[in-house]
Amino acid sequence: MTAMTSTPRPATQVAQSVPRVRPLVPARLDFAGVLGAEGRKLFSLRSTWWTLGLTVALLALMAVGQAAAIADSLGSPEGAAAFADVHGAELVTGGYQFGMLTIAVLGALLITNEYSSGMIRSTFAAVPTRLPVLAAKAIALAGVTVVTSVIGFAASYAATLPILREHDQVPSLTDGTTWQIVGGATAFLVAAALFALGVGTLLRSTAASVTVALTVLLLLPGILQFITLDWVQNLVEYLPLPAATAFVTVSDAFGGSGGFTPWQGAAVVAAWALFPMIAAAVALRRRDA
Amino acid sequence: MIEAHELTKRYGDKTAVHGISFTVRPGTVTGFLGPNGAGKSTTMRMIVGLDAPTSGRVTVNGKRYAEHRTPLREVGALLEAKAVHPGRSARAHLAVMAATHHISPKRVDDVIELTGLATVANKRVGGFSLGMGQRLGIASALLADPQTLILDEPVNGLDPEGVQWVRTLVRQLAAQGRTVFLSSHLMSEMAQTADQLLVIGKGRIITSGPVQEVIDGVLDSTVRVRSPQATDLAALLRAAGGTITSPEPGALEVRGLSGELIGDTAVAHRIAVHELATQQASLEAAYMALTQDAVEYRSDTTAPEPILTGATR
Repeated sequence: MTAMTSTPRPATQVAQSVPRVRPLVPARLDFAGVLGAEGRKLFSLRSTWWTLGLTVALLALMAVGQAAAIADSLGSPEGAAAFADVHGAELVTGGYQFGMLTIAVLGALLITNEYSSGMIRSTFAAVPTRLPVLAAKAIALAGVTVVTSVIGFAASYAATLPILREHDQVPSLTDGTTWQIVGGATAFLVAAALFALGVGTLLRSTAASVTVALTVLLLLPGILQFITLDWVQNLVEYLPLPAATAFVTVSDAFGGSGGFTPWQGAAVVAAWALFPMIAAAVALRRRDA
Repeated sequence: MIEAHELTKRYGDKTAVHGISFTVRPGTVTGFLGPNGAGKSTTMRMIVGLDAPTSGRVTVNGKRYAEHRTPLREVGALLEAKAVHPGRSARAHLAVMAATHHISPKRVDDVIELTGLATVANKRVGGFSLGMGQRLGIASALLADPQTLILDEPVNGLDPEGVQWVRTLVRQLAAQGRTVFLSSHLMSEMAQTADQLLVIGKGRIITSGPVQEVIDGVLDSTVRVRSPQATDLAALLRAAGGTITSPEPGALEVRGLSGELIGDTAVAHRIAVHELATQQASLEAAYMALTQDAVEYRSDTTAPEPILTGATR
């Protein structure tokens, strides 16, 4: 039995003498290819279409609902006074808090479904440097979020148009505020998606990532507003959704802008997207897949 | 060509792979044999950079896997069945993999055809059997016509026809000059497929070499001899280099000498032989002997024998 346990022959350096098989299949790895693959991944899953369809529906339906409710209250003098400074674009984008939820779920799933299925190993075998995968996912996700938002807000515009007309609130395309609100809402949805992608990459589990993302985006601002301590309220300002109101809303009726200017709010929201993504990139490089 | 040097992987305080060094050469099928939990999959994951070695180094065709500009052309890997999203069709999965390397849709069709997935290519992978999942994994590994193939338990879940197909395929790929490295926990499977063997147990290489050499080394065949002049014969065989035990008077068990040599020796010295039988341990028995100290998960063999076994004999 001693022969069996003897040390194996050491690895020898004979790499130069190895004849290579001439590859017959043209293949070239580059970022465009990785981006194309991430796009294909998104659109080859039914869950993507469901999530995006639901996002468009929520953006439109919630906007119509809010617009109708506001129109209703305009009958009373107090209601009319409260909503006098409402901008038409706020009514059109009114569903963004709901669109945020489905878009965040999509962002988290984009990476957590790879970990839960084992697909991540195929992905990293094809792109062993890994970071291009995360970058491509971020770009594909941002792109699909922008397109979905545009479709959603267009649908929302069409659906709320009768109410907007009736109250002379149709937002003007030549009005800078219209662009600030619609562009801001779109940018916020992109940020929410990237935030969830970063969290998903860090946590890898779908349940944990969705819970964390929705807690930060939706639950914390809602819960913490009941704790009326000054320092708590100051902190709440820095959560993504409250910070976003600085550029997504202009009227008091729509949550009003808090202490931030629109650009300050945008910076806070961008930080929420950026820092989890940076942490995710570091973790992705270091961890075993 | 895969070269590992002092490759070690620790997970917490558990060492999965223990400073192993080996070379897998092109033009051959190299079998990576070991019990479950021996470190085969961990080693393979380190080769393609999914797991980072705790220490040591492993290269493919002279470079670390991640340093290659066209990774899928260097190594095609089947690391586990269904490293695939269950909601995607087989074709969509392959198209995603192909897209990263700008591989043509024609090639995707080709590997679907080659692996016998044509009839199920547009079905979602979630409904695939283990065997179909393996075929998809092999299709994915072959996609970029790689120089080196790494297949972790490729015949797992395949039907006999599929097993035969994998054997033929890997032999062909090696004959073309490619490096083929495949793992199994079945010695009989390796004996039929591989040229070279690398046997691993508890994260260490137990033995390596050409398959036949490893098998011969392990098999430890004995020759049973009956002779009225057993004592005389034993002395002669001992002188010839054999190891002799005598289980009963008139009978010998000889190790280290072939049956032919024993028979010839007896004839030359006019010693009558009443029985001469070579007894070879089965391949699996030999393998179990080889790895018995290195099995991670072992069932308790001291359990009382079931009563039924006596009746069925």
